[in-house]
Amino acid sequence: MKSYIQSYVMFLVAAMLLLSSCAGHPDVPSSSKESKSLPAIYPDYCNVIIPYNIAPLNFMLPADEYSECVARITTPDGKQQTYGNGVKVQIPEDEWHEMLAASKGKSLKIEVWGKKGDEWLSFNPFDIIVAEDPIDEYLSYRLIEPSYVAWTFMEIAQRNITSFEETQIFNNEITNINKEKGQCINCHSYQNYKTDNMLFHVRLSNAGTVIVNDGKISRVNLKRDYTISSGVYPAWHPTEKLIAFSTNLTRQAFHTLNPNKIEVYDLASDMILYDVKTDSVTVVSNDSTLLEVYPTWSPDGKYLYYCKSVPLPEEMADKDIRTTYPKIQYNLYRRSFDVATHNFGDEELVYDAASADKSVTLPRISPDGRYLLFALGQYGCFHSRHHDADIVCIPMEKYTGTALTAETSSPVDMSLVNSDGYSDSYPSWSSNGHWIMVASRRDDDNYSRVYFAYFKDGKVGKAFLLPQEDPEHNVFLLKSYNRPEFMIEPVKISVDEFSKVFDK
Amino acid sequence: MAVILFFGMAYPHHLHYQEQFQLFLFDSNYVWDIVKLPGGVADLLGRFCTQFFLYAWVGAVIIGILLSAIQLLVSRFVGGGWFYGLSYVPSFLLWLFLLDEHALLGGVWAVLLTFLAVWGLCKLPKGLVRYIGIIVALPILYWMVGTHWNGCHYYRYPKVFPTLLYVAWLLALAIPLLVYVCRKWLKDSKGLVIPLCSFALVAVVMGAVVWKNANFKAEKVMQYDFMASHQQWNRIIETANKEKPNNQIGVTVQNLALAMRGVLLDQMQNYNQNGIAGLLPDVQSDATSPMPTAEAFYQLGMINVAQRTVFEAQEAILDFQKSGRCYKRLAQTNLINGNYEVARKYLMALQKTLFYRDWANETLPLLGDEEAIAKHPEYGRLRKWAYKDNFFFSDHVTPEMLESLYFGCTDNSMAYQYLIAYYMLTGDRERYNNFISKNR
Repeated sequence: MKSYIQSYVMFLVAAMLLLSSCAGHPDVPSSSKESKSLPAIYPDYCNVIIPYNIAPLNFMLPADEYSECVARITTPDGKQQTYGNGVKVQIPEDEWHEMLAASKGKSLKIEVWGKKGDEWLSFNPFDIIVAEDPIDEYLSYRLIEPSYVAWTFMEIAQRNITSFEETQIFNNEITNINKEKGQCINCHSYQNYKTDNMLFHVRLSNAGTVIVNDGKISRVNLKRDYTISSGVYPAWHPTEKLIAFSTNLTRQAFHTLNPNKIEVYDLASDMILYDVKTDSVTVVSNDSTLLEVYPTWSPDGKYLYYCKSVPLPEEMADKDIRTTYPKIQYNLYRRSFDVATHNFGDEELVYDAASADKSVTLPRISPDGRYLLFALGQYGCFHSRHHDADIVCIPMEKYTGTALTAETSSPVDMSLVNSDGYSDSYPSWSSNGHWIMVASRRDDDNYSRVYFAYFKDGKVGKAFLLPQEDPEHNVFLLKSYNRPEFMIEPVKISVDEFSKVFDK
Repeated sequence: MAVILFFGMAYPHHLHYQEQFQLFLFDSNYVWDIVKLPGGVADLLGRFCTQFFLYAWVGAVIIGILLSAIQLLVSRFVGGGWFYGLSYVPSFLLWLFLLDEHALLGGVWAVLLTFLAVWGLCKLPKGLVRYIGIIVALPILYWMVGTHWNGCHYYRYPKVFPTLLYVAWLLALAIPLLVYVCRKWLKDSKGLVIPLCSFALVAVVMGAVVWKNANFKAEKVMQYDFMASHQQWNRIIETANKEKPNNQIGVTVQNLALAMRGVLLDQMQNYNQNGIAGLLPDVQSDATSPMPTAEAFYQLGMINVAQRTVFEAQEAILDFQKSGRCYKRLAQTNLINGNYEVARKYLMALQKTLFYRDWANETLPLLGDEEAIAKHPEYGRLRKWAYKDNFFFSDHVTPEMLESLYFGCTDNSMAYQYLIAYYMLTGDRERYNNFISKNR
């Protein structure tokens, strides 16, 4: 009987040891050669500043160079744990969050070993600094092939940033009543990072703008006789049930040689204000000679910022936009807004990009109103397709009524956020203003990925990729993350509930 | 055997056509995304088998085995005698279903799996065990073969209801019931004559229906598309010499083959022509017709134009599947353009396939190796021939586009042939003279 119990206990111990090895806590190599360089891990998480509530930063060594990878993570209290399975380092969520909680305001030390052939290499250790400021718990984006004109399946998805959970908000299949015509869904937008007031557009088959107003869903047609199109790029007023939209007649053209490949431009664009309560549309600006686009509100709702093209030189004014597109540049303007009367004040030029031969798009004011982010490229309004596009951040205190320029705006050093030669676009702020999010094509020049960077007191940390459970996920994913938007809560309405609004 | 011979000899390019509109990946995420939906198992098995359609005879054998298995299962319920012939009816209907190039093999698997389940349940002892078996089997069967809301599993065009498939499915179940009821009046015969007669009757009638409904015109078009995609230029010319193509894809491919052999200008008048539409037709927004044109764009050196055309064609596949043929071409165009990381993505996906893996493994080392690309007989040539000037292109090819291509590299014999052919087909003497004087 005793020997039976003994063997049973031994079996249990062996099983537990086996289970613990399955959890991926390998031994550190007993001997290794020093490589005297940082490990070439993907994604690059070396010396980044991260929020204390983010999902595990899983990473890997290049599979064509290494056969194994071991990482040892040391928390500030001296506790150590090792991870590694093949070339991948995948950290269980509970262990990771425990480590982050113990490192808030301090750093995790990461040591990495890689096996190349029969030899283990040890790399220079690096830090992951854990900021005391959390990131918004959710993020939503449209997943779409970086297509030309045609598209197949697309979805607007939401991702819990503290874990790897991704769920669908809506897709272009469920209410598509005309497959030949197709259906496009786009421009999801939220009021103040919350999801009880939100919207997205559905184009072509079963078209309309789906608006959620205090949790109640409706589908509206924003096209009026006096507007050039229905609403396109939206911006919810931070406190009122008002949404500013640009209206656009957008076209695409395709380059034979230019690496930008696709040019997206507007033949015309104006701005409107939609009153959700009364279903009424008023024109904010409709200068037929100029193009207004990308509205965004100041956090107090007292100003509407937007981009507007500068007039073309006279000799080019009547020419086809397909030949003049490299000369179309946008400046940043704002107009005061009276919440009581819904009246707009006079236009002010906030940032003059054209004087430096540049074009500004996609402005976003930080939640404390102190900083302004935008994407800057040489021309045009669609910088997600422009290799030279970078994110610019300027302190708003510099704006005293006189238009800022590249020289006078004292921009924040964004060199740790921007990539060299790849499109960095669609910037946004987390609700606490401490995290900047951008969509960047830096990984492969074609597929947009979500990058975060820490922001505090006018200083920016190194940008890092949205972590995935499988670090190889982004290598194989043939979809772009389009229009990433922070949310402090998930969208609670299901795909099926959204689809019912199309039955009416 | 008749099924195998039919698909192997008379209908092989329908199988090639099927194969190019899917990309079966040996990848757990890919498999999970399919099997997690109702009908996913049948769909997965269908897709798995369809990858073998790249080799038409293998595809024909697979279809033959599947249809025979269904017939054998039905015959178990039907028995011999006069009813024996009826056991072939569902398989014949499925054969009829598969004549349609958009009918997916997952549908045949769904019928087979249903029948296997029914057969298995009938093997259980009568009474409680069988009832429990049915209760357990129903949800499992729904998961394996049931259709889900977008109905993509069994027919490529989700809007189309595959009536034939469902009739075959229902008949597979109804025939045994019918036999059970009718057996009172028609007794089993022990000899072979009556079953053979009954089979012969069904085979002749259904065989005639199958033959009459086979779309041999489409088969011919698909043959040209297949030959173009495999760059079988001599075979294309030989085929066109036997019977001159009179459809747009056939004429486009025939002209491409003539140009690839350097004889377009000398011989084009010997073949049917369709104006500009037979040379470089306007790109349509479907998955099929742009592919031969994209092949011509690629061989001309219009790399971005070819890339866009192939990308759009793949996006036009209505059941959201990807295409091995398209992935391959997208990897090539990105490689030629120097977009190595994008090319790597496509190649890494192709590494997870059975039949494109070797090609992907051979191509991966080329990424970033400028010298090897320059020396490569295809990529080096196309890089040299590619556009030197940037401009916007449209869905309609203009002589200016061909002129720009030619003057960017006067070695581009394809551009030269297409440009002169363009002038010949439009009869634009003025432009031709301008070109000749510019080219001196």
